[in-house]
Parts: sequence; structure tokens; C-alpha cells
Amino acid sequence: MLTSRWTRLLSVLGAIALFGSAPTLAQDIPDKPFAEAKFVLQISDMDPDKQTLVLNVAGNILKYYGPDKSDVEIVAFGPGLRLLFEGNSNTGRIKSLADSGVRFAACQNTINNMSNTLGRAVQVNPQATVVPGGIVRIKQLVDAGYTLVKP
Amino acid sequence: MSDSHQETIGENDKMRHINLAGPLAMLGALMLAAQPVHASNWLMVQGTEPDGSSDLARVWGFVQAQYQDDSSKPNAQGGYISPKTIGPNLDSQSAFNINRARIGVRGVAMPLDSKINYFVLLEMGNNGITAPGNSFAKLTDASVTFNHLKGARVRAGLFKYPGAEEGLQAIHVFDYINFTWVTNQMLLERFPNRLYTPNVAPQPLPPEVPLNGFERSVGAFRDVGVQVFDAFNFGSNWELSYAAMIGNGNGLNFSDNDDNKDVYGYLALEKIWGGAGPRREGLKFFAWLQQGKRTADLTNNFDESGNPIYDPEEYDRDRWGLGAKYLRKGWRATAEYMEGDGMIFQAPHNPSFGLGPGAGNPNNRDANGAYGKGKGFYVEGGWRIPKTGFEIDLRYDEYNRLDGARFQIDFKRTTIGAQYFFNPRVRVALNYEIREGNAPNFGPGLGPNAQVDGIDDVIAVQVTGIFSQ
Repeated sequence: MLTSRWTRLLSVLGAIALFGSAPTLAQDIPDKPFAEAKFVLQISDMDPDKQTLVLNVAGNILKYYGPDKSDVEIVAFGPGLRLLFEGNSNTGRIKSLADSGVRFAACQNTINNMSNTLGRAVQVNPQATVVPGGIVRIKQLVDAGYTLVKP
Repeated sequence: MSDSHQETIGENDKMRHINLAGPLAMLGALMLAAQPVHASNWLMVQGTEPDGSSDLARVWGFVQAQYQDDSSKPNAQGGYISPKTIGPNLDSQSAFNINRARIGVRGVAMPLDSKINYFVLLEMGNNGITAPGNSFAKLTDASVTFNHLKGARVRAGLFKYPGAEEGLQAIHVFDYINFTWVTNQMLLERFPNRLYTPNVAPQPLPPEVPLNGFERSVGAFRDVGVQVFDAFNFGSNWELSYAAMIGNGNGLNFSDNDDNKDVYGYLALEKIWGGAGPRREGLKFFAWLQQGKRTADLTNNFDESGNPIYDPEEYDRDRWGLGAKYLRKGWRATAEYMEGDGMIFQAPHNPSFGLGPGAGNPNNRDANGAYGKGKGFYVEGGWRIPKTGFEIDLRYDEYNRLDGARFQIDFKRTTIGAQYFFNPRVRVALNYEIREGNAPNFGPGLGPNAQVDGIDDVIAVQVTGIFSQ
């Protein structure tokens, strides 16, 4: 009995803990109830043309579905993080897309590694949200129903 | 070269704008607003890489193959001199030539650090860079740019100095085949040989003696030195650019041949309408100057044994100019005026700048290019026919060589051109040049007119192919 009670108590506490953590995840992925298309765009390549391409894809999604009916997040990690460097030559386009609702996520692990390599802190675009791990962020979004595209 | 620089006017729209509270505030704001702008701003296209989005090493280059036919007449004795023969070899009046074949690498030193970029370019074509000395290849650019200070980027090494539009622009997007008279003769520097070198007499074709008496490469509008520069966006899509440079004044040569240094200054203001790359739409006003000295033995002196004496002197070499360029909706117009004082190149067969044998008196300024002056201008325009690959071009240029001196020669040319673009990187150009020369202080057939009277038309065809990763 005692064991059973403790088991139930732990189960309740666990459920509370899970319940408590769920809103955090929900806050990380904004709810856009009218969004018909949800995309997570991955950029992890060094190639500068990929930067242009991923921004073009985001723009095309907005153009086709409209800002209110689309939900787009660009996740940058590895060499692709250069897209979100402060002062990147695409800063103007990033700002424009962000103003239209596109979100940008920068991988903290990559920032740490690049900072170690450079010997100074990597500064990222203020439009970007720093996430603990780019790949983890992608999984979160995919689990939430987003379609992963790697242009 | 610059077609990967994708910055557009739309992005410029979103750049930081400046509250013009006063001249000092404007200057300070400009410094703050320094942005990595590119497009047809040659300072930025050639000297910088896109911030955070450049390659570690981007291989690129271009090839230009051409055919030219010169219909000029010889002098009364049947002799030819430039510009009646096809350069750079000057052996004939019709020639196929691979006049440019360049390969280069550019990028950032480290992908994570866009603050430092580099530019290297090698010339392997047959032209004034490689023909003197029969070089297989010659390095034309090798520079590193430091972008750490907003408003004061620093470029060091061998590269194009800030100057006239024709010289500063990327040659593979030049809309004509040959330079204007004034650019070719007054700006494209020929460096004196170490020792006085007598003139080469007009030759029948093929010439018995090479008609080019210069031993060194042309300057190719380049110098080894240090340049401080940047570009600033302000107001409603305006861009202000500046550059200041100090260099050897010794062209493509890696080191200097004297202690004198050349100084260069450049200022440009452009209203930008849109587009990107070398054909960005805008209206640009620009002015430039360069000042330096050249050390040359132009005196025909010999010792008692008849051996030439090395007797160098210093001569000023100053150039300046201003102009404007317009490009919008397929229409292009350019005008530029230039003047030069000192070291006025006369011809490939005058390697001592016009001092002929026995006339070795540097104070004889009638024909001495070392002390001569020059001035010239060009106006040109083009129209890209909508929805076709065709463009038509028209240019008129003049150059007064040894301006104000007895041996002044006035060169005039009208160039009628057409281009067909197979795609943005491959095109063929056809030019017909109506040319004439005249020494106004002499009658027909007399003095310099004995040579220049026969200058006649040129037809030229050129294929340009650009490749880039």
C-alpha cells in the first residue's frame, strides 16, 4: 500500500512536472491558429548562396500563403550560423522577413564553439533568438507539426 | 566578379538612415552608418567581401578573345607606327589575339571572421602587361583588406588605385573593346626604361625592329601601396564613397624604383535606384586626382668612350579628372573630363617620351612629354534593347596630347558599338572606330602630321567569357 501510494504520489508529481514544462515549450513555439503552413528551414552550410536561398524560400512562403497563414522559423547552426552574424550582408533582408513574422533561431552550441575558435564572442543578429541547440530546436518544431526543409 | 554581391536597393532601403542635423553630425552619422555596400561601387566591389556571407576562396576569372583590323595608311616612306598597328605586338594591321585571360581567387581569410578579406588575380593574356618581357603570366592584384574600422577600411598590397572610371572599373564589364585615347595614352602608364632609349623609326610591316621600345609592363591602373576607403549610405538611397591611397607609383612592380611616392584621392556620390552588380542603376558623380614623381634618364648623354651615362632626373606626374555616370532602365550615359601634367606618354616607339636622338635637351618642351601636358574627355551612351540580348553603344572621345606645345596632337574618335549577351556572363562585342589625328601647329604632311595623317578606322570584335564559382 505504502509503495502504491508513493507510486501514485510520484506519478502525480511527475505529471505536474511535465504539465509545468509543457507551457514553456508552448511559449517557445508561438501559436498561430490561422497558420495553414508551418515550416522550419534549416541552414547549416558554409555556402553563401545557401543564405540567399533560404531567405528566398522564406520569402516565397510568405508570398504564397501570406504572413498570417504561414509560420516560418529559420534555424541556423554549424557553418550556417554565419547567416545570423551581426552585420551579415543579408541583415536588411533578415530584418524585413522578421518584420513579416519569420523567426530566426541561432544555435548556442555553435556560438560557443565559434567563439572559442575566434578567441572572442560571436555577436549574433538581434533579430535572432538563441536556442540551446539548433538540431534540438528543429526536432521541437517538427514534433509540433512543422515541415522541415533544408534548401 | 561582382555578380555574387547580392545587395539590392531594397536592402539599402532598410539601412540606417541619417538625421542631417549639421555638417559635423552628418559626418559623424556617416561614419556610424558605414555599411558593406557593393554593386557598381568599384572601391567596394574590388576591395571587400560581403559580410558574413563570403566564400573562403572563390575562384573566378575571364577570357577575352578578339580580332582587330586597322585600315590606317603608312607614311610617305611606307612606315607604320602606333596607333596604326594592332597592339600589343604592333606587328600587323589585323590580328586575332587572346588579349586577356585572367584567373583569380578572392574571399575571407577565415569564414568566421569577415573583417579580413583578400583578392588575388593573375593575367595570362597577351597585352601591355605581359608582352613587354614576354611574360607568361603576371600578377596584377594581390591585396588584403582590413574592415575593422567603420568608415576607414584599409586595403594593402597591389591593386587598382582609385581613379578614372575607365581604369577603375572591372575591365570584363567594360562596354567597349579599346580604351579611349585619353585613357590609353594619358592614364595607362608606360614607365621609362632605366637608360635613355632612342626613338624607333616608323617601320614597314612586318617591322624589322619592334615598334614598342618600352621594356616594362604598363601600369594597368594599379599600384602597390595602402588605401583607406569606405562607402556610406544616407538619405534616400544616396551613397558617398571615398578613398585615399599612397603607393610606390611604380605600377605592377612589387617594389619601388625611387623614394618618391604617389598619392591618390577619390570621391564619389551616387543616387541609387536599384539593381545589383556592375550594372546597378544609379547616377554617380565622381572626382579623382593623383600626384607623383617619376625618376627617369631621358637625357641622351654619353661619356668620352661613347657609353650611355645614367643621368636620372625627377619629373612630376599629376593627373586629375571628374565625371558622371548614369544607368537606368537599360539606358547608360557616361561623361568624364581629365587633365594630366608631366610624363605625357607619346607612343610606344618613343620610350624616352619624345626626346629624339640628338635632341636630348630636356628643356626643349616642344616635344618633351616629360614636361608635357594633356587633356581629354569622352562621352558615351548605351541602350540595352528590352527583351533581347542586344545592346547598342556610341562613344566619342578626344585627347590633346602635349597640349599647348608646338608638337601638340589632337586625337578624335567615334566608336559605334553593339553587344550581344548570350547570358550575363558571355557576350560578343562589335566596335567600329572612326579615328583621326591632327597636329594643329603643322600643315598636312608636315611635322607630326607626316605620321598621324594616315590614322584611319578600326573594326574590332571581341568575345568575353566570365566564369565564377
